Amino acid sequence: MHFAYPPRKTSNPPPYLPRSGGTSRLPGLRRSRLKVIALVGIAFIVFIYILTRPSSSSGHGGSTTTKRRAPSGNPPVVLVTVLDEKRYSKAYIDTVKENRIQYAEKHGYEAFFANIHDYDLKNAPPSWASVVATRHALTRFPEARYVWFLDQNAFIMNPRLSLEEHLMKPARLESLMIKGQPVVPPDSIITTFTHLKGPDVDFVLTQDKEGLSSGSFVVRNGEWAEFLLETWFDPIYRSYNFQKAETHALEHIVQWHPTILQKLALVDQRIINAYNQPKQGAEYQEGDLVVRFAECDKIGPQACEIESKRLAQQWRKAFTSS
Amino acid sequence: MSLSRSPSPVPGGGWSSPGLNIPSSGRSSPTRGYPGSNGTPVMWESARLKNTSGSPGYPSFSTQNQGFLSRHMRRLSSNLPHFNANPHYIEKEKIVHGRWSVQNVPLLGRLRGVMARMGRKMKIRLMIVLLFIISVIVFYNTPLIYHWRRSPWLGGGQKFVIILAANVGGGVMEWKGAREWAIERDSVRNKKKYVSRWGYDLEIVDMSTKKRYAHEWRESWEKVDFIRSSLRKYPKAEWIWWLDLNTFIMEPSYSLQDHIFNNLQQHVYRDINEYNPLNISHPLTDPHLDEESRSAVGDGKAESINLVLPQDCSGFNLGSFFIRRSAWTDRLLDIWWDPVAYEQKHMEWEHKEQDALEQLYKAQPWIRKHTAFLPQRMINSFPAGACSENGNDSRIHYDQKDRDFVVNMAGCEWGRDCWGEMYNFRELSYYLNRNIWERFKEDLVAKIWEKITGQKVKL
Repeated sequence: MHFAYPPRKTSNPPPYLPRSGGTSRLPGLRRSRLKVIALVGIAFIVFIYILTRPSSSSGHGGSTTTKRRAPSGNPPVVLVTVLDEKRYSKAYIDTVKENRIQYAEKHGYEAFFANIHDYDLKNAPPSWASVVATRHALTRFPEARYVWFLDQNAFIMNPRLSLEEHLMKPARLESLMIKGQPVVPPDSIITTFTHLKGPDVDFVLTQDKEGLSSGSFVVRNGEWAEFLLETWFDPIYRSYNFQKAETHALEHIVQWHPTILQKLALVDQRIINAYNQPKQGAEYQEGDLVVRFAECDKIGPQACEIESKRLAQQWRKAFTSS
Repeated sequence: MSLSRSPSPVPGGGWSSPGLNIPSSGRSSPTRGYPGSNGTPVMWESARLKNTSGSPGYPSFSTQNQGFLSRHMRRLSSNLPHFNANPHYIEKEKIVHGRWSVQNVPLLGRLRGVMARMGRKMKIRLMIVLLFIISVIVFYNTPLIYHWRRSPWLGGGQKFVIILAANVGGGVMEWKGAREWAIERDSVRNKKKYVSRWGYDLEIVDMSTKKRYAHEWRESWEKVDFIRSSLRKYPKAEWIWWLDLNTFIMEPSYSLQDHIFNNLQQHVYRDINEYNPLNISHPLTDPHLDEESRSAVGDGKAESINLVLPQDCSGFNLGSFFIRRSAWTDRLLDIWWDPVAYEQKHMEWEHKEQDALEQLYKAQPWIRKHTAFLPQRMINSFPAGACSENGNDSRIHYDQKDRDFVVNMAGCEWGRDCWGEMYNFRELSYYLNRNIWERFKEDLVAKIWEKITGQKVKL
């Protein structure tokens, strides 16, 4: 590389240097007046700015969309159960109700019961009522912090565990959630987020041996919960004839829509969704929060009622002793 | 061009000493023989040479040392002694010194005299006038206007990004002819001008049918991806304005802020019953929904509006709409394409993503709550040919008396003349937005001339 020639010295050195700057040539521009002129200039610029700006408003100035204020936590948790009073005997329904109410009372929660025929499902299978009932609970208890949907055919077995301490406390949740887990086992390419933080989780559910289980799940009350439940309940999914109705619809939206996946945490099944039989999923053991009589509904109401008998005694004992 | 001399070793090529270029320097300089360089900067010459690649016989040295300093080193340094390089001048000054006559006084000196004779008040007044003129120039006629209209505390222009969908259907499906190119050129130029006037950002996206979506049948949903990527690309953008190619901004003097967003609440309607060509039953009445979801206007606050779109005679129109950066928008963009919905509905969905959005609006309370509609003519006037089944509709069709903001030549590719419409609207826009001088020329001088001579003239 080469540079230009070094600058040559001029052979005619200047006879005098130009007056060093600073003093203005114009008369009357002394320092004091310069100040005034500068002030006037600034005033003018401001004036013209006020005239010409496209009135930048305060209206949309705050670029934040209105964040919904966090619910006050009264009650902290709503326990949602959808009851099928037509098919099941009154005694059985009452046992389930009693179980929920007792647990709710113990921890200051609310139990919310809906009837499976309360909602217009537009010819969709009745199990869809669980989704809309959860949405209904958000409407009924706008101040609730969490909504826990628990299937009718399940008992809460351990009254000492509160849902917040047992599951929803961010630190606890972080230790519980299964990261990088295929959403639909065994080999879905969609896996749960690996970098999810406890406070960001808005939706907790479990997997059984066949995939996601929608028999017991917790949502955090908020805009996102409404989004989830309303999307899940979309008529277009209800009319699609998913083989397992709302469960498969959930698997579908979780896999196709990352805005749902990014708030979802999978936890071990025994945390909120242990089964009484090991055929479909993790079996209930002493001390677990919940036991569900999975699949009994398919055989018929009788099967559920028979299975529940033994466990009903257990939970009553546990509740009275604690 | 031919050169009479071999180039100097300045890296950029060409002659670099500006002293040589000043024709009045009184020296017989070698520049005289160098035709192109008269007064033009040397840099420009070399740049031009580079552009006309293969220009005869002029080797370019510009493979390296392209930095400003290395290119101008010689020029900068040789500038210094140039002051009195002219011996004649020095002599003259010596002679003339002390003998000022009225004729010989240079302009500056005369000005100085005027200033000296002027009163103090007059000076201040003069100063104020000068300042006013300067500030007007600075504010209106410099490129700076773009930057202050962008800045968040002056204009806030960087909150707006315009996405222009270019190259519709091109690429795989069809060749673009001269007319299509002309349409695209005009449309793009129109938006570029608008954007540079108000300090917004323009993102031109390529809508040519993408192979990567073909397997998923989601060709029309690229909109979603483009909105997403623009939100990522312009992190300060708050509102994205989607514009189809066949649109023309008729009134570039309207800023989005003044036209819509400063008074969003007054301009939009959230209760679709106000104009409901699709007959969507609104509000929702399901008992499981909360009050806000069942209300006709959501929460009624402007802050909760995340999607602003117009409706034409047949429902939603996504030729021109606004969407705001928010968590809600992420969710909408995510949900918008759904294979299960598509599988069931694709036979009915003639307008693909537009119908999908209508479907979502009907089904999803969370979408209704944050959607607002603009009267169509605020951002999406139709020409007489579109939606013309029921004749002219003042809610739909462009009217130059009202100076509508944007025209959307929707559907012109089916049996109408896109380029003709585009051309007419372009000319109309220029005509409506003539400046005072043009109006004076055309409306007054030319008219008078016509009266006198009977001939039409174009000035």
